[in-house]
Amino acid sequence: MVENSCIHISKLVKQYQGSDGFALNEISFDIFDGEIFGLLGPNGAGKTTFLSILCGLLKPSSGDVSIYNYSLNKDIESIKKIFGVVPQDFALYPTLSGRDNLMYIGRMYGLRGNLLNDRVQTCLSKFGFDKNSDEPVKNYSGGMKRRINLIGGILHEPKVLLLDEPTVGMDVQTRTAIIEHLQELNQTKKTTIIYTSHNLDQAELFCNRVGIIDKGQLLCIDSPQELMKKENCADLEEVFLKLTGRKIRD
Amino acid sequence: MYRLLATCIKECKLLIADKTGIAILFVMPVLLVVIMTLIQNEAYKSLTESSIPVLLVNNDNDSLGLSIENGFKEYPICELTLDHGEIYKTNADIKKQMLEGKFLIALIVPKNATTILRGDVENIMNGLIDKTKSITKNPNQVNIEIIIEPTANKAFVVAITSRLKEFLAAVKTKVLFQIMSEKIAGLVDSKEKMAMPTKDFFAYNENYAVRDNKTYQPNAIQHNIPAWAIFSIFFMVLPLAGSIITERSEGLFIRMRTFPGSYLSILSGKLFVYFVVALLQFAMVLLVGKYVLPLLGLPILNIGTHLFALVALTISLALAAVGYGLLVGTLFNTPQQSAVFGGISILIMSALGGIWVPLNIMPHFMQTISSLSPLNWALMGYYELFIKGGDWFAIQFQLLKLFAFFVCSLFISYRLYKIKIRLY
Repeated sequence: MVENSCIHISKLVKQYQGSDGFALNEISFDIFDGEIFGLLGPNGAGKTTFLSILCGLLKPSSGDVSIYNYSLNKDIESIKKIFGVVPQDFALYPTLSGRDNLMYIGRMYGLRGNLLNDRVQTCLSKFGFDKNSDEPVKNYSGGMKRRINLIGGILHEPKVLLLDEPTVGMDVQTRTAIIEHLQELNQTKKTTIIYTSHNLDQAELFCNRVGIIDKGQLLCIDSPQELMKKENCADLEEVFLKLTGRKIRD
Repeated sequence: MYRLLATCIKECKLLIADKTGIAILFVMPVLLVVIMTLIQNEAYKSLTESSIPVLLVNNDNDSLGLSIENGFKEYPICELTLDHGEIYKTNADIKKQMLEGKFLIALIVPKNATTILRGDVENIMNGLIDKTKSITKNPNQVNIEIIIEPTANKAFVVAITSRLKEFLAAVKTKVLFQIMSEKIAGLVDSKEKMAMPTKDFFAYNENYAVRDNKTYQPNAIQHNIPAWAIFSIFFMVLPLAGSIITERSEGLFIRMRTFPGSYLSILSGKLFVYFVVALLQFAMVLLVGKYVLPLLGLPILNIGTHLFALVALTISLALAAVGYGLLVGTLFNTPQQSAVFGGISILIMSALGGIWVPLNIMPHFMQTISSLSPLNWALMGYYELFIKGGDWFAIQFQLLKLFAFFVCSLFISYRLYKIKIRLY
């Protein structure tokens, strides 16, 4: 295990029942405390499988993940408290208000009383919900839902934040605001951020390190600048295409 | 515990926000109970308290006709219209009135009916007293015509014709005694008339087979309140299963499974809220039966005397309904599928369970099948408490079966959930 590593992934394998191939094939690497790590890959590469294993939604076929010295195979309940998860789909009740959704999520992470109220109010104000926090989520725009979805993941101030394509389908303003908030969170709270995205420009600017994964195998891992240098490419997208090919994936 | 409370708060807010769901859960049961009770109460009343419109055309105007007249005047289920052949002269007149819905049944006593009867009886008596005279084998018959409106309830027709036959038998006996006494008086050369008993030889006492010594009056309320409360509580399966499926099919399920603690504890919070809703539904329907329906002229609901047994039965019923909702919600993948299956399965189980029609009018094999319906178990339990004066002991099997249904539903749902979770 590398020094300063908060997440140590060791020979992680995932094979789905009835499938011949491996969704993850013996991948091993470390994620460092307080870094912003981007997991990149084409469709079906194994990104979502990896995140799902990390947050306890799926069990690995073999291998283990150590998160702040907790074993994923043995201490899943302790690990769940460390993580904040922002799913790609909106994980919100449409008929409840943004505030009620957040109050529920906060309670489920054990927040209560004034602490819960203060956190919810602070986050709502920070993400621009001063006026419409008590309206039903179904009346919100896509960007507003995306922001509430994100707040749901950070409300309990997790040590590690998992984001599955957090800015997909958003306008430039919302996307920028979210990325800025995440960077602030990383700098002020030292939150480790693991995120997947198809937006390689964003990943290049946002991530300290990226890993490119394809067909269940980790192809490379380093800072975007180092990868561009190693592969002699002008940008991360070129690196990506060079390593994963141009063939369209299902 | 705090997570359970958090889920309960969330579920309550979701319910309050869903106006249609609230209507299904609380308004529908009340409407069902009020409407069905009013309808069925009329049906009950028709047989026991009022009012079958009967036309009696008495063309005889002698003792036979008058006896029938008096008998039907005192018969409480009849709304009698009497005619002595002045208005309704032909059968065609009568049928016309019946087809217009004025009468359900018409009885026409022919002219000289008493004379014909007396002639027949005298013939018998003469044959018995005087051996030289023979008894006619083919007496003149009194043809009493009965005309029935085609849609008339068979039970009404049977009630009226039975009553008629009863009067005719009584009149026949009376005439027989009269003539016999006249003949005997003639034989002993007595001028005095023989005194006849004024009372009937038989008296009838009707009692209900109840477990205590209280008086119960079976009526539409005693059936409809528990029956439609059970139906409505089970109809909760639709919003409950829909809610489970919606949560499972959206990103919410991912978030829930990443919360600390088990997903089952979150599900327990949801089930608990619906369990409480079921209890509230029952309490509300009970209050309607006790305080609202009497305002509409219906009898007051009698809930028996074993309140704790009633609470236990209602808890078991609520658990069974919640368990079934969970099972349907786990089994199906879309709210549409669960709504169609849930709705139809409850309709079938309720029909089999005796919610719509009493079990005793079902064919024997249907009665056997009906004992498989959890709605039937609950209904039989409430019959025991509300109608038969039963206690804990009387409903023990119903309690046990409903609770076992709940446990089985939980177990099957858990196995299904484990299978489905592998597919995610």
